[in-house]
Amino acid sequence: MDLEQLRKTAAEVVARDDVKYLIGWKKGSYGSRVAPAFVEDAASVIELIFSPSCTANLATYLTLVEKTPLPRGQETDKRKVALMAKGCDSRAVVQLLVEKGIHREDVIVIGCPCPGMIDQSLLAGKYGDTEERSEVRWNGKDFTLVRGGDEIEIPRNDVLAEKCRLCRHPNPVISDYLIGEAVKEWDPAEDSGVGELEAKDVDGRGDYWEGQFSRCVRCYSCRNVCPLCYCQDCILDRLNPTWINRAVNFSENTAFNISRAFHLAGRCIECGECERVCPANIPLGKINRKMAREVREKYGFEPGLDPDAEPFQASFKPDDPEDFIL
Amino acid sequence: MLLNKEKWPEFVEKLIGKNLWAPKLEGEAMRFALVAEGEEVSLEYGNTRVPPKGTAFPQTETMYRFQLGNTDMQEPKLEEERILLGVRPCDARAMAIIEKLFRWDYDDPYFLKRREMLTLVGLACNDPGLNCFCPSVGGAPDSAEGLDLLMYDLGDSFLMESVTTKGEALLAETKELLTDSDADAVKTKEKLFADAGAKIKRTVDHIGIPEGLPGLWEDPLWRRVSASCIGCATCTYLCPTCHCFDIQDEVEGFEARRCRMWDSCMFEEYTLHTSGHNTRPTRRERTRNRINHKYSYYVDKFDVIACVGCGRCINLCPVNIDIVEILRQVKEELQ
Repeated sequence: MDLEQLRKTAAEVVARDDVKYLIGWKKGSYGSRVAPAFVEDAASVIELIFSPSCTANLATYLTLVEKTPLPRGQETDKRKVALMAKGCDSRAVVQLLVEKGIHREDVIVIGCPCPGMIDQSLLAGKYGDTEERSEVRWNGKDFTLVRGGDEIEIPRNDVLAEKCRLCRHPNPVISDYLIGEAVKEWDPAEDSGVGELEAKDVDGRGDYWEGQFSRCVRCYSCRNVCPLCYCQDCILDRLNPTWINRAVNFSENTAFNISRAFHLAGRCIECGECERVCPANIPLGKINRKMAREVREKYGFEPGLDPDAEPFQASFKPDDPEDFIL
Repeated sequence: MLLNKEKWPEFVEKLIGKNLWAPKLEGEAMRFALVAEGEEVSLEYGNTRVPPKGTAFPQTETMYRFQLGNTDMQEPKLEEERILLGVRPCDARAMAIIEKLFRWDYDDPYFLKRREMLTLVGLACNDPGLNCFCPSVGGAPDSAEGLDLLMYDLGDSFLMESVTTKGEALLAETKELLTDSDADAVKTKEKLFADAGAKIKRTVDHIGIPEGLPGLWEDPLWRRVSASCIGCATCTYLCPTCHCFDIQDEVEGFEARRCRMWDSCMFEEYTLHTSGHNTRPTRRERTRNRINHKYSYYVDKFDVIACVGCGRCINLCPVNIDIVEILRQVKEELQ
C-alpha cells in the first residue's frame, strides 16, 4: 500500500467543501491495534494508515450516524462522507446502495485493494501481545510484525483472518479513487468454513448452536458493528410489543441470533465483523456464510457486487428453485 | 497456611459438593461456571471474559411470577450458597464497590442476599494483563478487598490467607491438606507480588478528575473520543462495576414474570423517555456518561472510583476505545 498516495488523495478529498469527513484507520492505543479515524482536515491525513491490522469494516459508520432533532432553522449536514474500503467493505457500500440505505452521491469510496488482514486474537495468542505499540506489515507473501526494534516474520496462514481465507473479492468492487494496484485474487476454501458443521446431523447441529447461543451476553455488538444491520427501529429495541425479551437465556438468545441471520440472508457480504467483535467468541460468521452460500448456490445471487441489482429478498423469478418448500 | 500444589486436586474435590464455581473455558473464553464432579479446575487464566458480578447481580433476575388477572405473586427461591474459586482481586473489589450502591437509599434484597451467600476465594495476580491498571485506581494484584480468602501462587504451593470468618471457616474445613506457612513463604509472596505490580505498565492519573469532569461537560473531547463508538454494550456488560438494570415484565399466555436485567448506558433506549425525548440522544452523551459515572458521580456519592482497572473494556472494545486514553485526554483538558 502506497501510504503517500493514500494521504495525498485523502488530503484532496477532505479539502473539498462538499465533504464532511473521511473515515479511515489510524494507529490504535496499544499493541498492533488500529482504531477508526474521522479525518476532517488536510492536516490530519498524516495519521491515516492501511495495514494488515485494518480488519474492521468501516462501512458501518455510514449508517450509524445519529440523526437528532435540529433546532428550527438549522439544516442537517448533507455533505459527503469519504470512506476507505477494502474489498469486503466496498461490498457493504454496494449493498447499502442497492437497498437505498445510502445514495451514491453521498459517499466517496477510497478503494484499498486488500492482500488479506490479520486476526488480532490469533496474533496475540501465537506471538504474544504488548502494551507498547507495534506494527504489522505485508511483506509480499507473508506478514512482518515490527515490535520493539525486532522484525518477526509471520507465515500468512498463521494469523490470517478467517474471512480473508475465504475471501472471493479482495479488490474493491466500487471506488472513486483506487489506492495502489489491484491484488491478485486467491482461491478461497470451498466449504465457507461450515463443512464440519454440515457433516453433523440435525441434533448435532442443534447441540452445537445451543452451546454457542447460551453464551451470548446480548451486548448487540454484532448488530451494531454490522454495516447491513441498520434498521432505525430494530425489533430488539422494541418494548411494546417485546418481540424478543431482554431476558438472557438460550431461548431468547436464539430468537435474537436467528432473526438476525434471516434478516441478513442474501444481504450479508461476509466481512466477518460480527464474529470479530463478539466478546463471547460465538462463531457468527458460520451462520452468515452458510446463508450466503445457500443463496449463492441456489439462486446464483451474490449481494454487494452490482449497485444496480435488485435486493435479493425483494426479487422473484419464476424459475427460482422451490424444492426445499414442504 | 500453605497448600502444596500436589494437594490442589484434593482441595478442589473437597469444595465440589458445596456448589463450587470456577473459571472454565467456554468456547475460547474463560467464564465462571459450576464445577461438576471429578472435574479439573485450572487457574491458568488472566481475567475471565465475563466478570463474576453476575453471581450476585444476575444478568436476568426473576423478581416474582404472577398470573394475568390474579394478584398472587410467587417469589422464586434464591439459589443456595456458593463458592467462587479463583476470583481476581479486581473483580472482588468491584463487588465491594457496587455493594455500596445496593446499600444506598435502601438495602437491595436481591443483590445483598445473593452476595451474602457467596464465598469469594481470590487468586492474586502473578502476571497481570497488558491493559490492567488496578494500582492506579486503588487496587493491587494482591488486594484482598471484597474477598473471603486470598490465595497467592508461590510456584509449588499456594499461600492461603483468610480475610473474613467465612474464609477462616473454609481453611478450617480443609485443614488436613494445609501446612503452616513460614517466614520464607511470606517473603517469597512479598517479592512475587511487588514484581507483579511492577509489570503493570498502564496508568491513570485520576487526581483532579472527579472534581474536574463536570466542568468538561461541553468539551469537544467527548465528540472526539466517541466518534468511533458503535454503541454496543461490550464495555458495560463486561465491566465488573457496571450495575445499571432495567425492570421489565415478560408475559407468555397468562403466565408472567417481573424481572430485572442488566441495562447499558451505551444503548439508545437507556434514557429514552415515553415522550420520545432522549436526554442522551447520541453516543457522545452516552460515552460522556460512562466516564462521568465511573470517575465522577460515583466518587461524589460513595467516595470511590467505580472502575477497578481490570482492562476488559479496553481489551474487548471492537473499535479500540480505550478508557486509559480517554482519561489521559480528560487530564490534559483539565490542565
